[in-house]
Amino acid sequence: MMQIIVQGLLLSGLYALIAVGFTLIFSVGRILNLAYGAYLMIGGYVYFYISQQLGLPVLAGVLLAAVVGCAAGLLKYQLLVRPLKGDHVAIEISTLILAVVLQAGIVLLFGDSAKVLLPIVPGVTQVAGASVTYNILAASIASWVILISLYLFIRKTHLGRAMQAVSMDKKGAAISGVNADRVNMITWGISGTLGAVAGVFFASYTQLSPSMWVAPLIIAVAVVIVGGIGSIIGTLIVAHIIGFMEIITVAVIAPELRGVFTMLLIIGVLVIRPQGLFGREEI
Amino acid sequence: MTHALKITNLVKRFGGLVATNDLSFQIEPGQSVGLIGPNGAGKTTVFSQIMGEHRQTSGNIHLFGQEISALSTPARIRHGVSRTYQVPRPFGELNVLENIRVGFMPDSIWQMITRGPNRDKEVELALSVGFSENDLLRTPDELSMGDLRKLEMARTMATAPRVMLLDEVFAGLTVGEIAQIASLIQQMRRDGMTFLMVSHDLKALEPLVDTAIAITYGSKIAEGPFSDVMADPDVRSSYLGAA
Amino acid sequence: MGLRWYNFALWAAFIGGMFLLPEFVSKGTLRTIIFANFLAIFAISWDVLSGRTGYISFGHPFLIGIGAYTTAILSKRFDLPLEYSIPIAVIVTMIAGFIVFLPALRLKGSYFALVTLAFMELMYQLVQVFRPDLTGGTRGISGIQTLTRGAANGYYMSLSLMLAVALSMWLLMRTRVGTALSAIGMNEESVSGSGLNTTKLKLFAFLTSAFVAGLGGAFYVHYLGSIAPRALFDINFLFTIIVAALIGGSSTIVGPMIGAFFLTFLLEYLRPYLPGAERYFIYGGIALLLYMYQPKGMYEIFMQGWAKLRSGRAA
Repeated sequence: MMQIIVQGLLLSGLYALIAVGFTLIFSVGRILNLAYGAYLMIGGYVYFYISQQLGLPVLAGVLLAAVVGCAAGLLKYQLLVRPLKGDHVAIEISTLILAVVLQAGIVLLFGDSAKVLLPIVPGVTQVAGASVTYNILAASIASWVILISLYLFIRKTHLGRAMQAVSMDKKGAAISGVNADRVNMITWGISGTLGAVAGVFFASYTQLSPSMWVAPLIIAVAVVIVGGIGSIIGTLIVAHIIGFMEIITVAVIAPELRGVFTMLLIIGVLVIRPQGLFGREEI
Repeated sequence: MTHALKITNLVKRFGGLVATNDLSFQIEPGQSVGLIGPNGAGKTTVFSQIMGEHRQTSGNIHLFGQEISALSTPARIRHGVSRTYQVPRPFGELNVLENIRVGFMPDSIWQMITRGPNRDKEVELALSVGFSENDLLRTPDELSMGDLRKLEMARTMATAPRVMLLDEVFAGLTVGEIAQIASLIQQMRRDGMTFLMVSHDLKALEPLVDTAIAITYGSKIAEGPFSDVMADPDVRSSYLGAA
Repeated sequence: MGLRWYNFALWAAFIGGMFLLPEFVSKGTLRTIIFANFLAIFAISWDVLSGRTGYISFGHPFLIGIGAYTTAILSKRFDLPLEYSIPIAVIVTMIAGFIVFLPALRLKGSYFALVTLAFMELMYQLVQVFRPDLTGGTRGISGIQTLTRGAANGYYMSLSLMLAVALSMWLLMRTRVGTALSAIGMNEESVSGSGLNTTKLKLFAFLTSAFVAGLGGAFYVHYLGSIAPRALFDINFLFTIIVAALIGGSSTIVGPMIGAFFLTFLLEYLRPYLPGAERYFIYGGIALLLYMYQPKGMYEIFMQGWAKLRSGRAA
């Protein structure tokens, strides 16, 4: 029982981290970045290359993954999003194509097979009577630290509040002197960074493979739909709901059905409350 | 006699902001009413509640005696009320005739498939709002603002409304274009159309309306013949500034 | 689009040529073209909904898969003759699609896309675990009855099916429904503002799309003779369909056909040099560049080139 609770908490932290990068883009720009999962993939592979193939320290790997992720986000914004001028359909399609291209690129560089990452922090420990790997523990703690810093950043700093403004009302923000373009660019950079770091953790939790960008995207999607947009707290809560649902399903029902209840939750929310449980908007 | 449009105790709150404050008025069939007030008075909000784009917080909306608050926007249009928008929203890749075609379409897939468009009706409507024959195959990116307004009106007229809501239909037009639209509206008045018009251009508005309703901060402050309303001291001060 | 006599003449020549093709090309090429035919069918059916209305659906493999699995199960496990299993498969696809996507259709475009993505993943997981005795689990089903024997016959069947689908969809989209659906893609609120119920229109497009997808899926499985979840509920398959429709030219019928053939041959051409997933890198890259350059696809590029030629000659 304790095992379930602990595992659930830890997984939810990771899911929250994954979801937040995606939600940020969607809230601030109303844009669906379908290549979001690719950030995770890139982050995971950069870490793999740096830390396992080159043998550099773990921290270097994570940091470099974050940097590459940030660069990827900025590049994507400059090369794809800006030229398409907010045409939602076009961006959805381009990001999807990009994701598949990146996946193929990874296959070219690293081969097709799935790889198991050495744990970031090796070993197993006991938390409240349940056994957990240091790995997932480190991942969760890191996730929470990042999330809390992000929350403070959004609430307290000038830039963070600018992001909130643009997410609520682009025109109003522009009139107040906020440069929406810069805000969007920075948001994409942050999203890329978050995604890449989440990817490192996610890859160590499951495994590294070129098709690993799909599952996190689905999780992020689930959180956006169920939680609605506009509140980081909402994202956190929903991430926990989903995280626990998965752990319970795996432990109590059947491991293969892991994602099924998430999907059913999505349907349920769509039918009953389309703006999500914590959504701010009328849809 | 049934009123064409009857608004009763309409209230709209957006969170803490009261956009519409216990508004009531009625419009008789064939009447033309101007809705005036300073910026932010809530005129467009009234329109969007009538059309169902926003649900009112409380109050009733009756169209020819029927309560329409539970109907969707397309359903209300089919019941006979239509509006134009301050920023025209044409179909970017369809030409003038095709834009109008959408307005004429019945809300029935079967009919859409089995019957073709009535080109004669489309052309007739396009010409009647002032398009020339050369314009008919133009697309919106080739049209002036005045033409876009005319197109918007044509598409709205194609839905055969009995009450038309015009939202700032003169904004951004040249004097010539204003005259064109004004004469179109006068023609429709003679044909019996009921109008509720919002406009900042009071000079253009005056000859087109029978009476006026002035609102500010969501509440009605005056109602009656246009010149009486314009002379009302509360109305004048609402325009001159709430500072 | 006005029809001139030379449109008819060109199409007649094209179709005639297609039917004569088996005389001139190898079996291998025929098999490639068969695949292109089916891809064209899937791309057309995707475009009818997503290309026109802008509601990008990632659930298309889901629809194709339902059609394929239904007829496979009915014919193989229950020995139902194909004249029954195929039509039933099509109906089941439409019903399944209706149930699953109806809540999603009421949403704005982006949410719709997300939901369909989630559903596809869901089906992929479910089909592996749900009643493996029926579905064959991860390995799928093999030894399914085929409709034709031999490459040439398979080719004629796929060609006829593709032409039938193309013609009927073309006729349908030429009616006011086609205009209305395209209008939704341009400005959905204005369509509502013209008194039309857009949910009903979208649902119609969706069911039509599901009909063709189910039909295509059913015939496809009876051509291949086997079925596996890997091949069907796959991002790459989805990707191929979408890219075919888009770079060929969405909102048209000919566009997806062009795209399907272009992609299939590109893939085949690259195969000796880059076996495996790396080909997706090249053609994904080409697709992305093409799309950014001309989102309306190759059809538009051809039309503009044709118009330039004609005005050049007149001048």
